[in-house]
Amino acid sequence: MPKMTLSHFEAAFLFSLFASVVLGIVTKKTDRDRLYYGLYCFGCFIVALFGIGWVMRLGHG
Amino acid sequence: MATKETTPDKPKMPPINVWAAPVLIGWIVPGGGHFFLKRPGRGALLLVSITLMFLLGLMMRGMMFTPQSGDLLTTVINYGGFIGDLASGALYLIATMFGYNQPDLPGAVHDYGTKFLVTAGLLNILAMVDAYEIAAERKN
Repeated sequence: MPKMTLSHFEAAFLFSLFASVVLGIVTKKTDRDRLYYGLYCFGCFIVALFGIGWVMRLGHG
Repeated sequence: MATKETTPDKPKMPPINVWAAPVLIGWIVPGGGHFFLKRPGRGALLLVSITLMFLLGLMMRGMMFTPQSGDLLTTVINYGGFIGDLASGALYLIATMFGYNQPDLPGAVHDYGTKFLVTAGLLNILAMVDAYEIAAERKN
């Protein structure tokens, strides 16, 4: 198995992508709702990623 | 005047022969329950997402949890992590069968790998619950 080294952003981006796909599929009842909810979850992950990233950066001074 | 409150009827548990096969297949192969229930599109998306997440966890050399007891926090983390890993089904079983045994190392990449492995299993539990709801005709 090859070894892979990802940056924080790459790892968090991939985590968000896969988790959003599954959450979209299992949560809603129509394909349209699944797509929108998956995109919504992905957007929330990315906003949290940048938001918490900036909070940590500012917190460290 | 007091009014009687009515509670909605709790849905009945369907017979085990209706949902056991899709849930079990869904545990062994991520998305397998959806394929079994003739939802190949959703099954394929689940299979790809969960399998890729697990494989990325392996490639980042994430740690597999083993059931260990100790103080409360140690017990919860290790048993919870073990259940999360085990929920990946065949992916976990094949990886351990081929001797994957990564020690817990310091470093962000290993830590992400551990989280990817556990989360793949937790997402597979969600997929199994979805397969159960489809089999029980609570969902289309």
